[in-house]
Amino acid sequence: MKELLDFLYIGHVLAEVMIAIGPLVGFFLFFQLVYLKLSKEYVINLFKGVVLAVTGLTLFLQGVKVGFLPVGTQMGEIMNSFEQLWILIPIGFLLGLVATVAEPAVRILCDNVEKASSGSIGFRLLLAILSLGVGIFVALGIAKIIFGISIYYIIIPGYIIALILMKFCEQSFISIAFDAGGVATGPMTVTFVMAVALGLADAMEGRSAVADGFGLIALVAMAPILSVMMVGAVMNFVKRSS
Amino acid sequence: MHNNTKEGIIEVIQAVVPITVVVVLLQLFLISMPWLLFSRFLIGVIMVMTGMFLFLQGVKIGLLPMGEAIGAELPKRGSMTFLLFFAFVLGFMVTLAEPDVWVLVGYVDTVSEGLVNRYILVLFVALGVGIFVTLAMLRIVLNVPIAYLLAGGYIIILILSFFTPADFVPISFDAGGVTTGPVTVPFILALGLGVTAVLGGRSSFNDGFGLIGLASIGPVLGVMILGIIYS
Repeated sequence: MKELLDFLYIGHVLAEVMIAIGPLVGFFLFFQLVYLKLSKEYVINLFKGVVLAVTGLTLFLQGVKVGFLPVGTQMGEIMNSFEQLWILIPIGFLLGLVATVAEPAVRILCDNVEKASSGSIGFRLLLAILSLGVGIFVALGIAKIIFGISIYYIIIPGYIIALILMKFCEQSFISIAFDAGGVATGPMTVTFVMAVALGLADAMEGRSAVADGFGLIALVAMAPILSVMMVGAVMNFVKRSS
Repeated sequence: MHNNTKEGIIEVIQAVVPITVVVVLLQLFLISMPWLLFSRFLIGVIMVMTGMFLFLQGVKIGLLPMGEAIGAELPKRGSMTFLLFFAFVLGFMVTLAEPDVWVLVGYVDTVSEGLVNRYILVLFVALGVGIFVTLAMLRIVLNVPIAYLLAGGYIIILILSFFTPADFVPISFDAGGVTTGPVTVPFILALGLGVTAVLGGRSSFNDGFGLIGLASIGPVLGVMILGIIYS
C-alpha cells in the first residue's frame, strides 16, 4: 500500500488552487471595500463557501493528477497492445454515449431546447441525438489516434458544416447550439478519457502524445453544436414546407 | 440547504458513475492491469467525486454570490467603459477558477515535457476568455447579431490554424472546450444580464444566449497566438 502514499503530497496542487481562486476572491474584497460594503456576517458566510471550494478543487485536482493520469495513460498503453485496434473505436463510442446520457448539464440543455422550440423538439429525442453525437465524436477521436488522422480533417469540415448550418437555423437555435459546446465535456471526459487517449497516442508508434493525443475535448465540444443545429435546421425545414 | 446537498450529490454521481462503470467492466474483461494500479483509479474516482461535490457547493455558497454582487454593482456606476473593463477582469479571473482548465494545462505540462510553461498557457487561455467576454458585451451594446460574431470568430480560427505549429493546434481547440464549466457559465450569463440592465428595455432573452459560445472562441485564438509566438 506504500505505493499509494503519493496521494498525500498535495503541496503543488494547493499552490495551483490558490492561483485559481485567489484572484477572484481578491477582486471581490477590493469591490467589497470600495463599493459594496456588505454586512460582515454575509461576507463571512461567503468565505465559508470559498473554503469549501478550495478544499474541493484541491481534492479534485489531486485525484486527477495522482489517480487518473497514471492509470489512464497506462490503460492507453495496454490498449495499444491489442491485436485488433479497431475494437477501441466502439469502446470510445460507448464511453461518449454513457457519459452524455447521464450528464446533468446536458439534461438542462435538452430542457431549454424543448422550451425554445415550444415543445416541438422533445427532451428525449434531443437527449438521444446528443448522446449519439458525442459517442460518434469520441469514436472519431479514437480513430484519429489509431489511423493518425490530423485534427484538421475533422475540425475544419466540422466547423464549415456548422457555419453552413447557421444559414438554415433560427437565431435562437444558433445561440443555444454554440452555448451547448461545453455541456458534454463533463468531468470524466476531460480527465479520464483524455488521459486514456494520451496514453494510447504516446504508446503507438509514429504518433506523438502532444500532436495526436490532444483534441478529444474539442471534438466532444463540437458534437452538441452540430447536433443541435441539425435539429434546428430540420425543424425549420419541416415548418417551412408545411 | 438539505435539499441542495442531496441534489448536489445526485448531480456528481450522475456525472461520474457511468464512465466509472464502463472502465471497471473494461478492467474486468479486457484490460486487467495490476490491481494496485487500478486501485489508484478507484481512489481517484472517490477524490474527484468528493472534490467536485465540495467545489460545486463552494461555488454556490461563496464564489457565485461574490460574482453576482460584483455583477450587480457594475451597471450601477452607469459608465459603459467601467463595465466593459471589469467584464474583462471578471472573465479573466473566472477562467482561472475553472477546474478543467487546470486539468488540461497539467496534462499538457506532463505529456509535452516542457512544450510550454503551464502558467503562461493558463494566462493566454484566461486572456482569451476575458477579451471575448468583453467583445460579447460590446455586441449587446452595439446590437450586432450574434451569428456574425460567431461566424467571424470561427473563420479567424480556421485561418489562424494554418499558421499555428502542429503541436499547438489540438491543445488550442481543447482549450476552447475546457473554459465552459460550472464557474464560467453562470458568471458570464449574469454579466450579460447586467449589461442589458444598463441599456434598459432591450430584449434580454435573445441577448443572454450565445455569450458562452463567444467566450469559448477566445481561448482557442489565445493558445493559437501563443503557439505562433513560441515558434
